[in-house]
Parts: sequence; C-alpha cells; structure tokens
Amino acid sequence: MNRLLRLTILLLAGAVVPLLAGDGEAAYARGDYVGALEAWTAQARRDGVTADLLAALGNAEWKLGHKGRAMVCWERALLLDPRDPVALAGVRHAQGSGGTDRPTQTWSENYAGLLGADFWLILAALGFWGTLLTLLLPRLRRQAPGEWNQRILVTSATLFAFCIPGLYGAYTLANRAVVRRPDVAVKLTPTVLGETVNGTAEGDVLRTGRSFHGHTYVTSADGKGGWVKSTELEPIWGGGLPANLDQKQAP
Amino acid sequence: MRALLLFLLFACGALGLRAENHVSWEITPTVCGPGQPFRLQVRIESDDVLGPANQVGKEIRPPRGMALRFSGQVFRANATEAVLNFSGVAPEEEGAYVLPAFNARFPAQMVKVPDITLTVSAKTGYRKEGRARAELALPVRTFYVGEKIAGSVVMRGSEQETVTGTFGLECEAEGFNFQTEGSSYTQPLPDGHGLTKPFELTPIRAGQSELNLSGIMLVNTGDRISSLNAAGRDRPFNFRRRLTVEHVPETGRPADWCGSIGKLEATPPDVSNRFPEVGEPIQLKLTLVGEGNLERIVPPEIPGSDVWDVAPLSEKRQRRGEDRRTFVYTLLPRVPGELKTPAVRFSTFDPEKKAFESVEFIPVNVKVSGNAPAKVELVSIDPSAKVGAPTAKAVTGLLAPQVSAGAKGVAKIEPLAASKPFWLSNTALLAGVLLSAAVVGVVGYLAAHPEVLVRRRARQAVRRARRDSAAALRQQDAAAYARAVTDGLRAGAAALLGAEPRALTQGDILRVLPSADADLLAEVFLAADGERYGAKDVRRSVEDDARLQAMLNTLEAQL
Repeated sequence: MNRLLRLTILLLAGAVVPLLAGDGEAAYARGDYVGALEAWTAQARRDGVTADLLAALGNAEWKLGHKGRAMVCWERALLLDPRDPVALAGVRHAQGSGGTDRPTQTWSENYAGLLGADFWLILAALGFWGTLLTLLLPRLRRQAPGEWNQRILVTSATLFAFCIPGLYGAYTLANRAVVRRPDVAVKLTPTVLGETVNGTAEGDVLRTGRSFHGHTYVTSADGKGGWVKSTELEPIWGGGLPANLDQKQAP
Repeated sequence: MRALLLFLLFACGALGLRAENHVSWEITPTVCGPGQPFRLQVRIESDDVLGPANQVGKEIRPPRGMALRFSGQVFRANATEAVLNFSGVAPEEEGAYVLPAFNARFPAQMVKVPDITLTVSAKTGYRKEGRARAELALPVRTFYVGEKIAGSVVMRGSEQETVTGTFGLECEAEGFNFQTEGSSYTQPLPDGHGLTKPFELTPIRAGQSELNLSGIMLVNTGDRISSLNAAGRDRPFNFRRRLTVEHVPETGRPADWCGSIGKLEATPPDVSNRFPEVGEPIQLKLTLVGEGNLERIVPPEIPGSDVWDVAPLSEKRQRRGEDRRTFVYTLLPRVPGELKTPAVRFSTFDPEKKAFESVEFIPVNVKVSGNAPAKVELVSIDPSAKVGAPTAKAVTGLLAPQVSAGAKGVAKIEPLAASKPFWLSNTALLAGVLLSAAVVGVVGYLAAHPEVLVRRRARQAVRRARRDSAAALRQQDAAAYARAVTDGLRAGAAALLGAEPRALTQGDILRVLPSADADLLAEVFLAADGERYGAKDVRRSVEDDARLQAMLNTLEAQL
C-alpha cells in the first residue's frame, strides 16, 4: 500500500513538473512578460540557472524594458553555453535595434568562445599534467622513455600550447561588466566630482580593469577609458540571476 | 589728578555692575489635576527697560505629557517689568513635573527663567468629563518608508466646552515628512461636538524615531473670552509617540512592484473609442483608487507589441488627497480585428497584512476596422560585397525561448579558475610530484657515487677521534689517547684507500700521508696496539699531540 502511494505521488509529480516548467513559456507567448519572468525566476531559484533559462529570462527582461538585466542574463547564458541561439539572438538584437554597445571580441576571445572558460582550463590542466608526468615518470622509474611515452608527451604539450590563447581569451572575457543604470557618466578620475569624459547607457557591455575608491576602470566598445562607479556595473561572471540593482528602492 | 583717577575708578566700577533682574512665577491652579488646563504667569522685574519679549516659546521644552504654549505678554512702553503668560494642560500622570529653565529674550537683554515645578495630583477633585480634549488618531503598527500614513487629531468638545477651531499644528519628528491640508482645513465630528484635523505622515528613512505633535485648539467655554483665563479659549495639546519604520521587505518583492504601498484597487479601464480604425489613436484611462501613496507610484509601462503601438504615458493630475490616480495611455492599433487592450498589472504592498498583492487592470475588447499596412521587408545589402556571394543571414529580433524542464542548473556562475579547491589540489599535486622527483634524483645520485657517503662517514669518524683524543688528553690517559688517534687515522685512510679501517697499519697511513713522521706513527700505533702485548712507556705519544692533530687535520682535508 505504501509503495503504491509512493508510486502515485511520483506519477503526480512527474505530471505536474512539466506543466510548471511550461508556465513561463505560455505566459511569454501570450505577452504576459511579468508572469513569464516570475515563473522563470522561481524556476531558477528552485533548480539553479541554465543557459536556456537565462536566455529566456533575458528575453522577458528585454520585453519589460530592463535592458541592463536582459544583457546580464544573455551574457551569462553565453558563458554557460557560448552557442545558445536565444542568447546570441538577444545580444545581436540588443546591439542592432536596441542600441546597446558591446566590445568587439578579439581573436583570442572568439577562440575562447569555442569551448567555454571551464573547458579550456580543464584541457589545459590535462595537457600540463600529461606533459609533466610523461617527462618525470621515466626518470622516476629509471627507464628510458618509450615510444608511447613520447607520443603522449607531444600530444599533451600540444594540447597545453593550444589552450593558452583560450585561457587568455577567457580571462579577458571574464573582465567585462554590464551597465545597470541609465545614463552613467564615465569619469576622468575615480572621484565623486570627477570630470565626465564619456557617457554610457544601460545595457552597454564594458571591459573592466582595476577598482579603486568605489570606482572601476572601464573601456567602452569604442576604446575610450574612464572610471565608473562600481555600483552601476554588474560583472558578468560570479552571479546567477541579475543583481537587484534595478529593483526600485522604497521611495 | 588724584581726584580724576578716583572718578575714573568709580566710573569703571559703575559700568561693571549689572542690572539686577528678579523673576517670579505663578501657576493657577497651584496643584493641577491630571489633564487639567492651567495658566502659568512669569513676572520679570529689571532695572532696565525690558520691552517685548522675542520668541519666548522656542526654547521651552515641556516635560513629557505636558502641553504648554506661550499665549502672550502684558507690557507697557518704557516699563521695567514684563509679564509672560502661558497656557497649558497638565500631564495625565500624577507627580512633580519640572519645566526646565529657559531664556526670555528682550531687546536690551536676556533674562534666564529658572526651573518651574508643576505638581499634578488626583486629589484636587478635577474631573475631565465635560471638558474639551484632544486625541491623536494614528495606527499602532510598523510603518514603511514611502508609505502615506493618514492620521488626525480629534478634538472632542462637550455641552460646556465647544471646540471652535484649531491652529498652529506642528510636528517635530526626524525621518518624516509632515503635511496638512492647510491651517484652516478641519472637519466636524459626526456628533457636532468637536473637530478633526487630518494630517499625513510619510516616513523617509528606516529606524526608530519619536513623533512630537503639538498645536492649539480654540475652546469656547461660554465665559468671558480671555486668554488669561485658566479655562480660556486657546488650549494647547501635545502628543509624543515612538514610531518604528522599516523598508518594504525585499524578500518576495515581485519584479513589477513600483513603489506602491497601501490598499489599492483597479477600476474598470476606460477606452475613449471602442471602434477605432487601424492607426487611429485611442486613449486608455486606468484609474487607481484606495488608500496608499498614490502620488509616489511609478507608472507601469506598457510595451508596444505586434498589435498595439503605445505612445508615451501621460497622466491626469488629481487634486491632493483625492485618493485616486489616473494613468492615460495612447494606443494605436496596428492590425484590424477583435483586439484586447494590453493587460496592465503591478504589485502593491499592504502594510497591515505585510504582504504583496497584485493589482490588475483587465483588458478591454476593442473592434478595429480598416486594413493592415503592407508588410515591408527591410533589405540591407553590403555594397562592397562581391556579386553572387552568399549573404549571411542576419538574426534580427528575439527568438522564442525554450526552457528545458527539470534541468538542474547552478546557483552561481563562477569560473573554475575562481575555485580554490581546484588550485589547491593542483598545487599540492605539483608539489608532491616535484618533491618525489627530487628525492628520487638525490637517492639515485648517491647510489651512483657511494664514495660520497663513505668519505662523509670517514670525516665524522676523524672528528669523533679528535674529540676522544682531546678527552683522553685531559684525563692523561695515554693509551686511550693513542687508540683514539690511530682510530681516526685508520678511518680517514681507509676511505681514501678503499680498505677496512681495522686492517690498516702505520705503513698504510704513510701511503696516504707521505709527509708524516714514520717514527711518530710507529710509536703511536705501538702505544695503541702494543699495550695489549705488554709495551712500556706510551706517554711519548701524548707529548706529540700537536703533530698528531696536524696529521688528523691533513687527513680530514683530503676527504
């Protein structure tokens, strides 16, 4: 009896979960973007974020006019899956008709985008350890390196060499942030009263440098540098759902 | 000259003298009942002309529960005395209440009025029934930043004392905005015996703060109207209350919350034209009603869609305190047919339930006539592209999202490069591998070069023999001295010759140390080994200690 009850519960749970998962898509399809956003946010809080969930969240945020949050969602989706079609379309749409700026990717960043930062690091670690062990093991065993040993050495050394640009590209890709506030001033100095040398808008993607005095040095898509308040940026790495900066504070 | 100096001395003394002020006060009645109105009269007599006092009430800080207002001054021109009149209401609790000292500022001088004590006792026989009184009507709960708190001062009168008006309502509270509808705006109570003075409070920061509200109500006692009468027509009131203010909780705050706090309702939307043509603008009026901070709500946005174009929002301004707010949207239908206006939804925070509630304006059916505009495909061609070259398909617009059900994701997207365990484990492994490689290398080198260890041991044996010989020398034990020296010479020479130490003789030592004194070596070997065979007089070796130690040093240097 107890077993039958458990089976029934499992069947019911199996029937309910897909329905819940489709709530956001159904709401999005009928134009209820707030409902879609709430459904997907609840799913993200429950199960964690995935590339397609973040891409969908980005779409809903964009439809609601939250450009900064949308760009954060799409960029993070591309970190998890560099070929996610919804996120790629969203970023291109934002750059095209949305008017947001995004730095042109260098060849190393495009190269890094082939696999993703974690995969590059794992491959580089494998290459490094393969090279090191094939160099050391024959010496430790006091034997002459065999033919297979030479093959593994060449393969792992080549793998490690190929990973270096990928690691560099992933590093530069990680040093980017999305502007979360409308009409943010890029200042000459990292001070409150610093002279404004440039402007940037919500949703723009900037390359980030060092931080100092509550400001972060940024480089815009057209290569102009300056300081922006750190609270007006959200790094692409290191988060799940977009931070609550856009949440209106109590008036 | 002396008389002149005396005159100047007296003149300076006269200037140094200050005018004497005498301050007295009187409270009527002397002992008050709880909540009883009283009159305070402060009389100041001075040597100088006083004139009118300035801002007497500003410095007075009456004790908690007591209301006190400056009601006027009786003075005559060029008079040296002044009478300051105050009217007040005694606190509700019994006890002695001290009104702290304050300054009365006159045009020529400032006079300090000392502490004044008011005694409140329930034994006076004073009864509050039938007398006009003021009450503060303010909800007792936690308030939220940005909320509009509707409060009022209810001034209740009676047949004997009717409340005819109020003025001078003031609020001292940090972290609040205080607003009234004007000094003269009051509402009569339903029973006709009193007035209500409404006000609005808006907290502007979180925390604890004290609300201090004071004012004056005009009371008609039916007697002769006089401000100096204890039962006179202006009667102050004062309320103090501690308020707690918090921010609207972030937990569970919906994405469409736009700063609204209160109990709000959406009225049915109003459409200016339910039968428009394609492209004809219509106005959609959405009106919110209810109690809340209506004027602080950020208007919800309606994004344009394939069906509707939405013009920027305009707003119909309401009179303050009307408890309603109207948003006017201009919609342009893009296609013909039976359409529905966009649904507008946002959340509001109910401060009493401490929960968010959804407010939704339902869509309205609209029948749109006319023809849809022709669909124009925008073609973008790169003029520099080669003829016949395939053009890349540009991705425009957003793709319909597909979210896989049940897929487990990550709570936080962090690169593996930021993982401490990853780098720690790799560093530990690298250190272990390098250490083991170093150990194996050293062991292998020593195995290939055994003389390193042999000579090292021989050096240690020579040093040990030198220490033993020194000890034997101190004890004047010639035999032990000779044994220690020969042991050292044998150990050192054996490492160089690759022989067993105990098998070496003085001749073998000479092969290693050709410059050594052969006689001395023979004597010391005889002294060491010959004792067992009955050799005599072994003391000579001890006398040649310096030469023997030099031999040991030379031997050690060769190792």
